[in-house]
Amino acid sequence: MSSAVSLEAGLAAAIATREALDFEAWAQRIFRHQFERNAPYRAFCERRGVRPETVARWEDVPAVPAAAFRRAELACGPPEAIFRTSGTTDAESRGRHLVPHLALYRASALGAFERFVLPDGARLACLFLVPSPALRPDSSLARMCAWVGEAFGRGVEWLVGRDGLDVERLLASLADAERRGEAVLVGGVTSAFVRLFDACAARRLAFRLGPGSRVMDTGGTKGLGRPLSRAGFLRTCWTMLGVAGYHCVNEYGMTELCSQRYESALRDRFDGRGLAPRRLLAPAWLRTRVLDPDTLAPARPGEVGLLCHHDLANAGSVSVVLTDDLGRTVGEDGIEVTGRAAGAARRGCGLLLAELAGS
Amino acid sequence: MSGPCDTPAELAALVADAVRARTRLRARAIGDTAEALGAAAARWGTDAELLRDLPAVARLSAPVVAAAVRIAAAALDTSAMLALVEHEFGAGAAGRPAPAGPSLVGHVLAGNVPALGLPAIALGCLVGAAVVVKSGRDDPLSAPAFHRALAAVDPALAATVVTAYWPGGERAWEEAAFARADVVVASGTDETVAALAGRLGARLLAHGERVSVAAVSREGLGRDEPLAERLALDVALHDQRGCLSPCAVYVEADGRLSPMAFAERLAAALDTVARALPPGPATIEERAARRTLEGEAEWEPRCRVLGGAGGLVVYDPRPAFRPIAGRRAIRLHPLDTLAALPVMLPRGRVECVGLAASGPETAALVPALRALGVARICPIGRMQQPTLAWPRSQRLPLGSLLGRPGPSALEVEA
Repeated sequence: MSSAVSLEAGLAAAIATREALDFEAWAQRIFRHQFERNAPYRAFCERRGVRPETVARWEDVPAVPAAAFRRAELACGPPEAIFRTSGTTDAESRGRHLVPHLALYRASALGAFERFVLPDGARLACLFLVPSPALRPDSSLARMCAWVGEAFGRGVEWLVGRDGLDVERLLASLADAERRGEAVLVGGVTSAFVRLFDACAARRLAFRLGPGSRVMDTGGTKGLGRPLSRAGFLRTCWTMLGVAGYHCVNEYGMTELCSQRYESALRDRFDGRGLAPRRLLAPAWLRTRVLDPDTLAPARPGEVGLLCHHDLANAGSVSVVLTDDLGRTVGEDGIEVTGRAAGAARRGCGLLLAELAGS
Repeated sequence: MSGPCDTPAELAALVADAVRARTRLRARAIGDTAEALGAAAARWGTDAELLRDLPAVARLSAPVVAAAVRIAAAALDTSAMLALVEHEFGAGAAGRPAPAGPSLVGHVLAGNVPALGLPAIALGCLVGAAVVVKSGRDDPLSAPAFHRALAAVDPALAATVVTAYWPGGERAWEEAAFARADVVVASGTDETVAALAGRLGARLLAHGERVSVAAVSREGLGRDEPLAERLALDVALHDQRGCLSPCAVYVEADGRLSPMAFAERLAAALDTVARALPPGPATIEERAARRTLEGEAEWEPRCRVLGGAGGLVVYDPRPAFRPIAGRRAIRLHPLDTLAALPVMLPRGRVECVGLAASGPETAALVPALRALGVARICPIGRMQQPTLAWPRSQRLPLGSLLGRPGPSALEVEA
């Protein structure tokens, strides 16, 4: 147990102190750790003839399908928290991510959020369009938002309750923020933003939030009653909230991962780069490969394939996860998510609202 | 827009012409209409241009398209149409004009299966209505080709039909086509039909997403029949895209073959069938789905994935129905007794059950399957070959167009 804690604590410290990470070395060390302590994963690797001594490169570490989190307890030790995937179908088969070391998860979540959403060191009042951890203790998104609020926020409001999004309170909070001219961070599931936009349109309301305000949305338009393009979303953030597109950041994450990717716009602007192409960037401890679905060989640059994430912050469970998401590489450092495998079950935090409304 | 007009206004004018043309045929006997439709279907079935161009558009192999065309043409058999008319409208009805009904029937066709325009046009014509058909994205060719064939054998009847294609959701085209329709029959995803329901209201007859399953009893397993090969054919036709395509098969345990042995035989049969009916090019989403299936199965206790290039059989010991994605992929569930089948199936989602079972076993299942919403029961190997009498979503094919609610219809094909 002590060596497990030291490995995870060591990685958490490395992330928190922003020291340069030797991805290859960490990947091999973590694989050895997981092979020793995670019996279902070890069996999976052995069926493939893979052992720590046969892994020469981080790309050789076997990837479990995301579905494995529905069927097996993939943890290297007793969990400090269990997070569950959202989904409106097959509720009994939701994925469970057992996280033995929350401090590592917290370090990863905060490190990436700060780098891509708050690169300027801004400290903002937070309006979260997600349920609080008290309401949804098994939601990794709620937990992440709580950490963000504690670490970087100047006050936090949770605007999703048992009955779903509290539109009246949200509109009042936005009006209040506008009146004070204070910059705010509005973060939450994309479908909640669409509810907000619909309410604004119905009441002919538009806000001009204070300079430096920003939007962080996640989950896409899953569970949504109407289509909305990304360009349409960004345009509406400007016309209805007064938040420019370069201050709007989409987050890509999944319950099975302790690290997230974020859209590049805010970081690129902070670094003085052009905003195009918008792409999803990762922190140094998360790498993503795009794989041919038939062969699982790397797809050619720009070609669409299955996304396979290697997340060092998943040290306590399984680091390499083959998803049902399709995407491609963009430039040297980014990816774009283009779709899902045919028939893949709807899932993800975008369905949080639908679940609350249906409960 | 592709088709005979370039603007919504032109489409509206064509529809109005069709309605007027239908008025002129008011006195025509239904039997004469059936004769013309049957002759047109036979002509359409040999349309070389269609057989050449449809595979690329539909993303199906040429042999699969040829089989689909053969089946669709055969379903518009004149005697079968006459039998349907007499069954629904009473003896002697074929010799009389159609009963009072809609002046215009609209159809929004799904794109997943080719040639859906044929039954759509035929049923509308048989109830004495003008027909306007919006083709699906993956088959904008079949309906216009049938319209051409009909024009060659019966120009007056062809004048009552309009075929068109426009991308789904384009309101101006939709309004032009369906503003005057008394009833609009729409097939498609649940999202598509829900969106149409909001715009068309009570005029809409919706056919949302449905699936089909097969079941094999011990008696069925004991027969000296190429059962696995027939089921493989049902899976392979239309590349398993249709609502009649089996996506699960339930096999009774303790028969002549074990469920696992049947799974192995089915996997081999899928490969054999694929040599004659090769799959079309797979999309990246379909290829990814196959990978996902294989990945999932490895983590399910006692699950196994069998198969190769011809398709996949997922042996799944959990009996509850679960959707399956991908092309030519089927879940096989062992079952202690066939009588438990209805308990395993979702309500209101299963269109067809293909059976290999004795007469008494089939008869015993009928009430429960009807209550679940099943519309068709047929032998395995016939699942993809419905007659025109198939009561989709348990609705009478002709009566539903006349607004006659009728009982929950279920076709049992011996």
